[in-house]
Amino acid sequence: MSSPILEVKGVSKTFGNVKALDSVDFFLQKGIVHGLLGENGAGKSSLMNVLSGIYLPESGTIKIKNQNIQKMNPDIASSFGVGMVHQEFRLIDSFTIKDNLTLSKANIFSDNFEEAYEKYSEIFTLNSSYLTPISELSVGEKQKVEIMKLIFKNSEIMLLDEPTAVLTPQETLQLKESLDKLSQEDDKTIVLITHKLKEIKDFTERIFVMKNGKMVAKNLETEKVTDQELIELMMGEVKTSNFKKDNKKGDIKLEVKDISLTNSEQFKSLDDISFTIQAGEILGVAGVSGNGQVELANVICGIEKEFQGRVLINSQDVSKKGVKSRKKLSLSYIPENRLGVGLAPGVSVLDNSAIKEYFKASYGPHLSKGKMLGYLNDLIKQFAIKAPDVKAEISTLSGGNMQKLLMGRELISNPEVIVAAQPTRGLDVSAVDAIHKLIINQRDKGSAVLLISEDLDELFKLSDRIIVLYEGKVVKEVGIDSATIETIGYAMAGINE
Amino acid sequence: MNKYILSKKLYRNELATFYSFLIGFLIALAVGSLILFIQEKNPFDVFSLMLKLSIGSVNSLSNSLNKAIPLILAGLGISIINSVKLWNIGAEGQIFMGAIALNFVYINTSINNSQIYILLLLVSGFLGGAFCIFFPAITKVLFGVNEIITTLLTNYIVFGLTIYLINGAWKDPASLNFPAAAYVSESVYLPTVLGKLSSGFLICILFTLIAYYIKDKSVFGYEMRIAGGSELTAIYAGISAKQKAFFAMLIGGGFAGLAGAIELLSQTHRVSTGISQGFGYTAIIVAAITGMRPIGIFLVGCLFGALTIGGSVIQTIGVSSYIAEIIQATTLFGALVAQFFFSYEILKKDEND
Repeated sequence: MSSPILEVKGVSKTFGNVKALDSVDFFLQKGIVHGLLGENGAGKSSLMNVLSGIYLPESGTIKIKNQNIQKMNPDIASSFGVGMVHQEFRLIDSFTIKDNLTLSKANIFSDNFEEAYEKYSEIFTLNSSYLTPISELSVGEKQKVEIMKLIFKNSEIMLLDEPTAVLTPQETLQLKESLDKLSQEDDKTIVLITHKLKEIKDFTERIFVMKNGKMVAKNLETEKVTDQELIELMMGEVKTSNFKKDNKKGDIKLEVKDISLTNSEQFKSLDDISFTIQAGEILGVAGVSGNGQVELANVICGIEKEFQGRVLINSQDVSKKGVKSRKKLSLSYIPENRLGVGLAPGVSVLDNSAIKEYFKASYGPHLSKGKMLGYLNDLIKQFAIKAPDVKAEISTLSGGNMQKLLMGRELISNPEVIVAAQPTRGLDVSAVDAIHKLIINQRDKGSAVLLISEDLDELFKLSDRIIVLYEGKVVKEVGIDSATIETIGYAMAGINE
Repeated sequence: MNKYILSKKLYRNELATFYSFLIGFLIALAVGSLILFIQEKNPFDVFSLMLKLSIGSVNSLSNSLNKAIPLILAGLGISIINSVKLWNIGAEGQIFMGAIALNFVYINTSINNSQIYILLLLVSGFLGGAFCIFFPAITKVLFGVNEIITTLLTNYIVFGLTIYLINGAWKDPASLNFPAAAYVSESVYLPTVLGKLSSGFLICILFTLIAYYIKDKSVFGYEMRIAGGSELTAIYAGISAKQKAFFAMLIGGGFAGLAGAIELLSQTHRVSTGISQGFGYTAIIVAAITGMRPIGIFLVGCLFGALTIGGSVIQTIGVSSYIAEIIQATTLFGALVAQFFFSYEILKKDEND
C-alpha cells in the first residue's frame, strides 16, 4: 500500500468539558472515496474542521503529502489542497455560478474557464449557464456548484459533510456517479461524511467509523464489511435499563391518526403516521435527526397547522385547535431547541418561567408579578433549580438548570400528555440523570409520554415501546422487551430486514 | 493574533443605564466646554446662564417642561415599539400626522362643550399617529419590510403632506404669505396649570404611567417581551408575534401623534412646519439613553427640554443654540459607549480556543 496522502495521529479537541475528539487517528489514500460514518455528535464534523484548519487541535500531528504541519489554519489547508463542503452552503446568492467558482484566489482555471466549466458541468450534470445567479438554482444544483468550487481551487482532498442530506434520491445517484468520475479520472481523494448506512455502502471503497469522539474502526473495506458490523460499531453497546417497566397503563391519552405533512417544496416530511399512547406509558421515537421528529412534535402540539390527519388528546379531536387550547387540555411540550424555542433568549428567568401558563397569573389585562414570583419559587424548590437572580437574563443559568426550569415549567401542572424532544442533549451526566427521573416520575403519575431522542441508551432506558421514524414514515414499532439494538439500528438506517 | 476577546457580562449592574447616562452627560458637558472654549467663551458662564434661564424661574421652568412634552411622549412610543425589538424612526412624521389629523377633525366638526371637544381632538391626534405608522406596521408583519427604513421614509411623506396642506387646501389667507393653516379657536387651547406650563404636561405624566404599566405590568407587555426575545418561543407559547408587533407599533405611533396634538393645542395653535423642531428625532436619543425605560424617558425628556430652552436663550449672548444639540447628541454617544462597557468585558483569550 502506498503511503497515505493525508495522515492524522492522536488528534484531540475539547470544548468546555466535552471531548469532541479523543486521540483520533485517520488517514486517506489518494484517488479513492472514503466514508466517515457515525451518529450525530460522534465527532465527524469536528474532525473535518480540524483537517480544513478551522479548529486547532490540542494535541496530535497532521501530515499531508508527507509534510508535517505544525499550526494548521484554513489558508495552509487550502494550499495543501484540502477543501471542504459544509452542510450549510457558502455561496454568494446574488453572484453568478462563474463568479462563485472563480472567487478563490487559488482559482486554477482563470484562463480556460469555459473549457473547464464545460467538462465539470458535464460530470455533475449541471444544465445551467455559468451566467446564472446562484439564487435561481435548486438546492441540488447549489450542492453541485459547491463541490465544483473545490475543483476550481485545486483541492485534491475533498471533504463533503453530509452532502446527501438535502438531495432527492435521483440527485444522490447523480452525485455518486460524479464522485466516482472525480476519483477515477481526476485522482481526487474524497471523504463522504454521513450517518446513512446505505449511502456509505454505495459510495465508498473504505470506511472509518466514529463514536463518542473516538475512531472505533479504521479503513474497513466496504465490500467486506456487513451492515450489522457497521451498526454495532456506530451504536456501540446499549446499557440495560435500570428503570422498572412494570408500570400500570391506563386509558389512551394521545392518539395520532394518519398524519401527513407536505412542505412547500412538495417534500413529505411526515407520511401517514398513526400511533396511540396510554396513560402511564412512554413511547420512544428513534431515528436519525431530520427524519420528521421535529415536525411530528410540532403537529401534535399545534405549532404546525397545515397537516392532514387527526390528533386526539383524551379522545377529543384537537386537530384544528391552537397551541393554547391544547395546553388547556393538559398537554406539555418540551421542545428540542432549549434556548430559542422553549426559552426566549434575552428575557429574564422570571418571564421565561411563566411562558406555559402566564395567563394564570393575569387578572384581565393585568399581570401579577407576585403570582409569577410565587410560581417560580415553587419551581425552584420542587425541581432544585439553581437560579441566583431571577430578574437576570435566562442565559445566566447553566444548561442543566435551563433544562430543569423548562421541564419543571412543563411538568409542574402534572400534565396528562407530554411531548419531550431530546430532553437531555448536551447535558452532563448528573443533569441527565435528574431529567430521566423526572420523566419516569411523571410516567408513574399516569402521564402519557412521547419521548423523541437520538440517544438509544436513553430510549431503551425509559421507553415502554419504541417506534422508528425514517424519511417521515414509521418503519418499525416494537415493544421494549423484544427490541434489540440491531433491529432499531437497521430501521434507523432505512434497511428493511 | 488577537489575544483578547469580548465577552458579554452575565450580570449587569442594576443601575448601569443610569451610570452610563451620567458618564455620557459629563462627556457631553466636556465636549461642549471645549467648543465654547475654542469660541473664546467661558463655558462656566454659558452653562450657568443656560441653567438660570431654563429652570431658574417658574416661567423658564414651565417653558422647559413644555418643550419636554413631545420628547417624552414620542420617546415613550419608541420604547413601547422597542419592547418587540423594533425601531421607530418615524416619530417626527407621526407628530406631524397627529397635528394634521387633529386639524382635519377640527375643521369638519363642531362641539360646543370645549372640554369634550379638546378630548376628541387629542384622541384624533393619537389616531393620526397610529394611522401614520399603520403602513410600516402592515408591511412589516405581512412582508417583513424593514421598519427602520419605512418609518424613516414616512417622515418625508408626512412632511411633504404638511407643506402641501399649508400652502394649498388649508392655507390661511390671513397669514399673508406665511404658509400655515388657520389658527384653532381659543376655546380649544389647552389650559395652563402653572405659569406657562401647559396642562399637556399632566397628560404626559399620565401617559408615562400608562407606558410603564403596559411595558412592565400588563399581559400585553409580557407577550411583547417574549415575542421580542424570540419569535419561535412566542409561537411555541401560543403568542402571535406578528400581532404583538402590529399593535405595539400602532400604540407607539399613537403616543407620538398625541405629542403633535398637544403641541398644536398648547404651543403653535395651528398646523405649520413649526409643529415639531426635530422632536421625533431627539426622542430617539431620549429613549435610547434610558434603555427604553418609561420613567427614565420622563426624567431625561425633562432634562433635554431644559437643554433646548437653555440653548435657545444663550443665543442672546452670541452663542449658537447648536451647543444644546451637540450636548444632547454627545450624551447619547457617551452613554452608549459607557453601556457597552457595562455590558461587556474584555477577557484574555484562552490559547486553545
